[in-house]
Amino acid sequence: MTLLYTLIGCIVFAIVAPLVGCLIAGVDRIISARMQGRVGPPLLQPYYDVRKLLAKENVSVNSVENTYIVCALVFTIVAGGIFFSGGNLLMCVFVITLASMFFIIAAYSARSPYAEVGANRETLQVMSYEPMVLFMAVGFYLGAQTFDINGLFTLDVPIIANTWLIFIGLLFVLTIKLRKSPFDLSMSHHAHQEIVRGVTTEMSGPTLARVEIMHWCENVLFLGWVGMFFVWGNPLSILLALAVIAVVYFLEIWIDNNFARMKWQFMLKSAWIVALVAGGVNIAFLVFL
Amino acid sequence: MAFIAFLIIFPLVAAAALALVRAESARRIIVLGAGAIIGIASIAFIVTALPAYGGKIVLIAFDSEIIDHIGTGITILIAVVVLYFAWRYKNFWAGIIATIQVVLALVVETLFAHQLDVPYGLYFDGLSLLMTFIIGVIGSAICIYALGYMEDFQKHEPEGARDRRPFFFALMFVFLSAMYVIVFSNNLIWLFTGWEVTTVCSFLLIGYTRTEEAIRNAFRQIIMNMAGGIGFAIAIYCCTAWLHTVSLYEFIAYGSMAAPGAALVAVFLGFAGITKAAQMPFQTWLLGAMVAPTPTSALLHSSTMVKAGVFLLVKLAPVFAVCEVPSIMVMLVGGITFMMCSFLAISQSNGKRVLAYSTIANLGLITACAGVGTPEAVWAACFLILFHALAKSLLFMCVGTAEHHIGSRDIEDMDLLFDRMPRLARFMMLGIMGMFIAPFGMLIAKWATLVSFVDTGEVALIIILAFGSAATFMFWAKWLGKLAGIAGSPENVELDVHKTEWGALLLTAVLTVAACVLLPLLSYVIVEPYVVSVYGVLGQDIASDNLWIASICVIFVVVVLFGGIGSKKTRRVSVYLAGVGDNHDERTFRNSLSGITTATARNWYMEDFFGEARVAPIGVWASVLVMVVAVILAFVGVGFGVPVLM
Repeated sequence: MTLLYTLIGCIVFAIVAPLVGCLIAGVDRIISARMQGRVGPPLLQPYYDVRKLLAKENVSVNSVENTYIVCALVFTIVAGGIFFSGGNLLMCVFVITLASMFFIIAAYSARSPYAEVGANRETLQVMSYEPMVLFMAVGFYLGAQTFDINGLFTLDVPIIANTWLIFIGLLFVLTIKLRKSPFDLSMSHHAHQEIVRGVTTEMSGPTLARVEIMHWCENVLFLGWVGMFFVWGNPLSILLALAVIAVVYFLEIWIDNNFARMKWQFMLKSAWIVALVAGGVNIAFLVFL
Repeated sequence: MAFIAFLIIFPLVAAAALALVRAESARRIIVLGAGAIIGIASIAFIVTALPAYGGKIVLIAFDSEIIDHIGTGITILIAVVVLYFAWRYKNFWAGIIATIQVVLALVVETLFAHQLDVPYGLYFDGLSLLMTFIIGVIGSAICIYALGYMEDFQKHEPEGARDRRPFFFALMFVFLSAMYVIVFSNNLIWLFTGWEVTTVCSFLLIGYTRTEEAIRNAFRQIIMNMAGGIGFAIAIYCCTAWLHTVSLYEFIAYGSMAAPGAALVAVFLGFAGITKAAQMPFQTWLLGAMVAPTPTSALLHSSTMVKAGVFLLVKLAPVFAVCEVPSIMVMLVGGITFMMCSFLAISQSNGKRVLAYSTIANLGLITACAGVGTPEAVWAACFLILFHALAKSLLFMCVGTAEHHIGSRDIEDMDLLFDRMPRLARFMMLGIMGMFIAPFGMLIAKWATLVSFVDTGEVALIIILAFGSAATFMFWAKWLGKLAGIAGSPENVELDVHKTEWGALLLTAVLTVAACVLLPLLSYVIVEPYVVSVYGVLGQDIASDNLWIASICVIFVVVVLFGGIGSKKTRRVSVYLAGVGDNHDERTFRNSLSGITTATARNWYMEDFFGEARVAPIGVWASVLVMVVAVILAFVGVGFGVPVLM
């Protein structure tokens, strides 16, 4: 049965997530613009951008880059499908890591020095946030007594009650996962941050469009991770979760607009220290008390 | 019984034949034939034994004074061999430690152990059957791979170098036989004999080239493993003294009831397992073993030697589940080793060293699982052993073949391998993915490991696993990326790879994929019954639905890797080099002074963060501290008293 639910979840996610993700990206750009004292593009600008990319000629530096990107997109959707169909959180975490890996290989395969630097940094980013993400899954398990997301709906209190320290840790690495400044080392949405755009340097046209869609889907999934901390047996709690997601995303946009990019040494050290303190202490409390 | 006798004796016969034959054609026939027969016999044994007994333990009534005496004879022979080499190469410590060990072993065997009868000398269960598969199929595949490899190796040797290949192949088969002795012996004395044979075989294999470095590393190996052997002998003595048995099965039965003295025995057996599994602080012997020809490394790392160490530890898991001191020792040493060696692997650019550190790290994880000792942890450990054996043998064979064709084992030189050796690069990528990423079996086993750590509330191990896994991602992903690079169409250099090498590579690759896809089935047929036979319960495992999702993902990835890449027709352009391009395949461009500059990019090795000089001592001293404290506590636990012997 789980297999069937997961399949349905993947199909629904493949349709809904790009829509939602696209809107979030549009809102993101408007709010960012207002913070910078600009009017900003129309809400649907990200959609127009991707539509234009899709219409362009398929040009690439080799024959495999696009295949890897398709794999990355597919596995992002599978991860989202697993999560939103109420499946296993750890499975979701592992599959999204697989998607990251394909994204990294795609960059390496181009053999462009710029893309390789981006790929190296992307690898480093994965290494930086991975411990905290695993602690999040462990915290979830200790809070909900299961790794299954649908187990949330049988709880009397949301897991945030016992895992708020882990939640703060997650917020810290969320900046890396959402590719926001100051941790947008591998590829930045801000043109002023880099000379040549890291990972996606050699990606163009439909391939780049797929990267963009993948990024939308990722964002939806990661915001889902944020929301799950606030869901319990009461169906209205989903509204609360959505409100929290809105606040958190606004906070991320604010951080994005107010910090310049940090060095990788700072990212690695700070992310690991936060993971060790927030994750370690919280898990120790959950286990021993 | 007939199968077990065959599996132990037949490789010895093959080894004897190989030692005598010098002609290449005859050797080829013997190795191919013997390898196939051992592989088929192993599978036949598993296929007949599994339906009849499931994974349950089957004790075989077999006791023989003659075998006891043969074992004593082998112990003396081993000491003579080591002492001869110690004398010849003037290695004082090896001589001392070999003397101590042989005296201790003979005293324990003749004075104490032989008084005790073990009516059921042999046994097999689910774990033995799993090991039979690993030794028989993967081990034989490596022997067959060695045929082609050693031919190339001999060509690369300086003119007039002695051809020691008969000796080499004989040792490989002796190794397999010794491994079978280890996995089927219920009599601890026999097990100890097999244990020591693997030690001395790897000593001789590591020193194969007789260069100064090879000799030095071989002696380091023998000193460390003989120290482990001394631990084993002490464990047998304690076992006879406190528990009056030298039967492994009875010891585990007493141990899982926390009988007095059992913790002490478990500490020393754990120590022996830790040395053999190259856990910190003994990791240097496995790193040094890299000087040997690659099939040796493949054999030591994947199907034999280190696997004997973790086999023993996993076997003892029910004892660790109830005895705190050995449990914490094994758990912590394994955990520290996993994390530190994963860090260390980041700083290495030599492919074989990366593989070595990753082996040690994975063995650390298996060791930690054994230390936890719950049913879930043992389930995870069994699969870690299986998937590690498959993926690692594949990787070592790939690196060995690549080394002979591109002339280097440095990862930086594997740039463009996807173009230069398309088939080999795909195998290598499959092996790497098999080692670290979902949905491949290795990661599923890691998942189960994490669940078992959480369920037992081992906070330290959870933290260690999280950081270690993150580092694991780093060092594999950057290697994978290096392989994936594509530019133009350089010359294909894999056309003259030996057929035997391809055969072995293909076999392990297919087995890796098959094992990942069939993981739920393997779990149901072999590992779950074993766990139930040991603990009576299964514990909470990963729901099979999730396993099947993983299986489907594996199929998808493999299809993409071997089928979907490189067929699309799109317009090609050159990469951007921030200047007027010159030759794009070579990544050269015209610089501002109109000269030609080559753009180069290296992977990150982060020496400042994860360098050997910085990280290794922390792990070594932490492990040493843990073990010293554990030994002291174990003696406190029995009140330093020595019971009166019966």
